This record gives sequence, C-alpha cells and structure tokens, in this order.
Amino acid sequence: MPPFLRNLFRFQESGLLIVIVGLGLLLTVFSGTVRIPAFERAPDGGRQRVFTVNADGERVPAFVVRNKFLNAQNFAQLAKDTSFTAIMAVGMAVVIIAGGIDLSVGAIYALASVVGAIVLQHFGPEGAAAATAPWLGALLGMGACVGTAMLCGLANGSLIVALGVHPFIITLGAMAILRGIAFVITKGQSVGGFPEVFRNLVRFEVGDGLSVVPLLVMVAVLVVGWIFLARLAAGRRVYAVGGNEVAARFSGIRVERVKLGVYLISGLSAGIAALLSIGYYGAATSGDGQGYELNVIAAAVVGGASLTGGRGSALGVVLGALIIQMISSGIVILGIDQNYSQIIIGSVVIAAVVLDNFNTWLSKRRLTQRS
Amino acid sequence: MKTTTTLLLALAGAVLATAAPRTITIGLVAKSQGNPVFQAARVGANDAAKELSAQTGMNIKIDWRTPNEEDAQKQAEAIEQLVLAGAEGIAVSCSDANKLTDAINRAVDNGVPVATFDSDAPASKRFVTYGVDDIECGKQVMAELAKVMNGRGVVAVLAGNPNAPNLQKRVQGVREEAAKYPGITIRDVYYHKETPQDAAARVEQVMQANPDITGWGFIGGWPLFTEDAIKWQPGTVKCVSVDALPAQLGYIRNGTVSELLGQQCYEWGHRTVQLLIDKIVNHKNPPAVKEISALIPVTKANVDEYAKNWAKWLPN
Repeated sequence: MPPFLRNLFRFQESGLLIVIVGLGLLLTVFSGTVRIPAFERAPDGGRQRVFTVNADGERVPAFVVRNKFLNAQNFAQLAKDTSFTAIMAVGMAVVIIAGGIDLSVGAIYALASVVGAIVLQHFGPEGAAAATAPWLGALLGMGACVGTAMLCGLANGSLIVALGVHPFIITLGAMAILRGIAFVITKGQSVGGFPEVFRNLVRFEVGDGLSVVPLLVMVAVLVVGWIFLARLAAGRRVYAVGGNEVAARFSGIRVERVKLGVYLISGLSAGIAALLSIGYYGAATSGDGQGYELNVIAAAVVGGASLTGGRGSALGVVLGALIIQMISSGIVILGIDQNYSQIIIGSVVIAAVVLDNFNTWLSKRRLTQRS
Repeated sequence: MKTTTTLLLALAGAVLATAAPRTITIGLVAKSQGNPVFQAARVGANDAAKELSAQTGMNIKIDWRTPNEEDAQKQAEAIEQLVLAGAEGIAVSCSDANKLTDAINRAVDNGVPVATFDSDAPASKRFVTYGVDDIECGKQVMAELAKVMNGRGVVAVLAGNPNAPNLQKRVQGVREEAAKYPGITIRDVYYHKETPQDAAARVEQVMQANPDITGWGFIGGWPLFTEDAIKWQPGTVKCVSVDALPAQLGYIRNGTVSELLGQQCYEWGHRTVQLLIDKIVNHKNPPAVKEISALIPVTKANVDEYAKNWAKWLPN
C-alpha cells in the first residue's frame, strides 16, 4: 500500500472521510446536470440576468449547465446547512466524551435565538432604539444570544452537579422549561426586523453569491474544539472523566468542575449556532430547533463519539454532521421520493457507524500485530 | 474537425430537443409531512402536473420536499436546495413567514417563481398566494359556533403551532367575531404540536380541567384526524371545526361535531401548480396576488355527497 494511503488509514477519522468521498463521488456521477439562469455583476454591484441573442435575433435569457452536486453554490449550501448542526455537535461531543448527554440543546438554541432576536429587533429599523448605532445593537444582540445560551448550559451543569441526578433527566426537564420560557416571552410570535449590519455580516457573500460565514464559523469552532480536546490538559480531563469517573476522581481531577464546564461548552455551541441561524434567516420563534437534539446526537455518534463516554473528536463529529447533511441534500439532488428519505438517512447513519467501527477495529488489530 | 464536432453536437442537441419534451420540476414545500391536509395538497399538485403535462406536451414533475415536523428553517433549506437542483417553480406553505422571506426572495432573484398556499409570506417576492382568508375563516368558525350554541356559553379554541401566521390570524378572527356575542366567553386558546394524538390529548385535558366548556372551535381539524378523539356525548358540547378530512366526517355523522368547514386542500396543490405553470410557460401573472379559496360547509345534510371527493383527493 502506498505510504499516503497507509497514513490515511491510520488517521482516526479515515472511515468517515472514506464515506464522505464515496458519497461525493456517487452524487457527482448520478446527480446529472442542471440548467440554471446565468447571472453577472451589475454596474451597481448587484446581480443581473445574462441575455443572449437567438437565431431569430430575439434577446433571450442565457442559461448555464452544470453538475447538480459538483458546483460551488451547492458546496456553500451544504456547508451552511451543515454548520448549525455541526457547531452544536462539537459542544455535544464534549458532553458525550465526558460521559454525559444534553437533550436541551434544541431548546437552548430556541431560547437563545428569541432572546437575541428580541434585543436585535429593539435596535432594528422598526425598533424602539432604531436611532442607536446599528453595530452597537448588533453587538448587544449577539451578546444576549450567546450569553443566554451559556447561562442555560451553566444552569444545566450546576443542577447536574448539585443534585447528582443523571443528566438525561435534568436536560430533559430543561428542554421543556427553556422552550416554555421562549414561548412565554415571545407569546408565540415570530421575532424579526434586525439591524442590517448584523444580517449583512452573517450573510456576507463572496464570488457568485456564496455565503461563507456559517462555513468559517464552523471551521473556527472545529479548530477550537480540536485544540481543546486534543491539545489542552482541560480537554484530556474530559476524556478521563468520561472514560472512568472514579479513576479520574482518585487521580485528582475535579470531576464536578469538568462536568460544569462541558455543559457550559454545550450551551455556548448552541448559542453560536442560534446566532448564525437568526442572522441568516432573519427571525426567531419559540418553535426553532425542535428535535435538533436528536440530529446533533446522531451527528456526534456517527462522528465516533461513544455514548458510554471517553471517546470522540471534534473533527469526527463535524464529519458526522456533514455525512448526514450530504445524505439529506443528496436525496433532493438525486430527486429521490421524500417518502424514503428517513429510511435512507437512518440506514446510511448505521452503515457509517459500522464502517467507522470496522476501521477502528482494523487499526487496533494492526497495532496488536505490530506489538 | 472542430467544426464537424460542433455541428454534430448541435445536431445531437437538436435531435434531443425534438425527441425529449421539456421537463419542468415544481418544488412543493408544505409545513409537515404527516398532516393529511398537505398529503391532499400533494395529490392535487401531482394531478395538476399530469393534466398540464397532457395539455402542454411537457413533462411536469412535482418534487415534494416537506419537513417531517414543522420547521421553518428546514423549509428555507428545502427552497434553497430546490433552486440548486433545478426546480423551475416552487410552491410553499410557510411555517414562519419572517424566516422564509429571504429564502423565497433569493429563489425569485435566481429566476425561480414562488407561489405560497395555505400560509403566506406577505413581505416576500412570491407572485401569488392561494388559500383561505384566515381572519374570515376564524370569524366563520366563531359565527357558526355561536349559531349552534344559540349565542350563549363558554368556548375553548384549539389552535396548533403558535408561530404559524395563518393560525394567528384565525385566532384573531375568532376573537373579533366572539366580541359580537355578549353571551359567549372564550376560556382560552390552546396550542399543541399539530399531531392528531397531541391535539386529542389537549382537548381531553382541557375538558377535564374545565367541565363548564360548552363549545369548541377547532381552527384546524387535528384531533378529529383520529377516531374516538371526542369524549363528550353528542349534543352536550357543540363543536365547529376547520377542515373536512375523511376521518373527520364520522364525527358529523354521529353528531359530536356540528359543522366542518372544509378547506380546499386538494386545490392548494392543484391550483398553485396551475398558477406556477402559467407563470413559467406563458409568463402570465394571475389577476390578483391573493387568490382566496372559500370554505365548504359540511353538515349532516351534505356529508355523504362531500365524502365522495376524497376518493379522488387521497393518495392511491
């Protein structure tokens, strides 16, 4: 086997990468082409349709033909759609590695979204503080969104540590309470109308209308998550607590502090995802993020995080989220009847986990043979 | 050589162009997969696609992309994905108008016309919206209920997703109409997750906690999508409900529900696809941006006649 491939297979997440490459190849080959209207930059900086002259001398709109999967717009869309789940999945991975679970991430996402949205609306074009500098409103809204999520995470962690109750129970209760608070403060209404400076920041585009901010934030969260888990002592303590809590305690690790920290991180990640969501979509409701906890846990598990604790990586869970999103988007691209989508997604999730486990087993076997 | 290749490609293109009819894909994004009213809309859209394909000689396809449960963000993602996948038109029922406005506008800016049905996004660039006038719908529910209650009693209102703009308007309509009846008190508006089981459970909980309720206004038919959801004896509590799906008709027959107001949910899909094809193929806009569909009253008198429609409207 060539050294490059050998090194690739030694890489912890190589199984996931193989699945992603395989899916990408399948989608490229079977997606076919799409004919879409051609656009160009207008003199005012906006986009305008391109026109050509046909055989009869008529001015007709021009079209471009491209592969449905293999194009920049689709990749930007894929990255954006993945980012919300992937960012929360990094936080969830830290919790799962520590041997916990956070069922309240979807509700934290909703509450952080509506609190941030209410502040942003206050400073928006039709808000009471519309005359205030928009960037100040944007900063306060962003702070309110992320701060609320961190407070929720801290409350979860504190209750888990103080009451000694299983995190499943605490976060299940928190899920209902937080969504209820979101509903009460919004009265079930959608909250929109944010300062343009905030929306323009999150929706910043490069090239031919490619939204890159969600992708950049996802990469930043991935890098920070990777450094924390793989390079910092605090991260290693998370693995130690998840691997064997009793042993970790006897080796001098302050287990309660670690547990508090992981739920804070989970809240923070939900807050960042919520911030991107309200910036991108321009509104928030108490119904946001319904059921997202399961998507996030699925992404973490597909990405190699062990529900028994002590195993997982930031890169793995981001790749896990990407796999799930590629399948979901692939179903649209291939035009597969949506009736079958849940069956397909569930099957591929299981296949990805099996392939990843098989790869881990192969790596261990090679190590055993070598020793 | 290059010229010959170009000519051959052009010839092949011309042959293909004459041999294969134009394919038009219409994306259909409803609020939730499991709600039967949207399945009827899906059947309507598919039927319209078949009829229009036969009329125009084109191959019109419906691409159904609806979240499993209500989720405006997933709807926005579906719209964006449909544009990238080459849909030439999109029909959407908005779970949250604010959240979908940008996605609709981007689709329109990319040359893909968008029509809304059932629940609108009024600030967006959609070229038409088709559905009931929701405030009038709420008023009609309350007016019919007041009629069967003889203008006296305690009324509970069952709503679904509290964030859905169309339901908010229906609640507003109910309240406005109720103000005309001094003998009627609205106990509260009760929300739920828009599944038949959740709705039936909510009605039961409310009745146990408020046995003095004498009338229910369902601004969507959710609890009646299950059998045996209503525990009261026929005639003891009066009920008027929006929607008239097959599962609901039994409640009219046994007298536990006084009247159903059927939305033309089959037409949500059927009419919207007609409007979209007219826009895409003939570049024709409808006479008005709002196309209102009337509610069809279903009572014991016409329930059997109305039931025959469902043989056509349900998926095979």
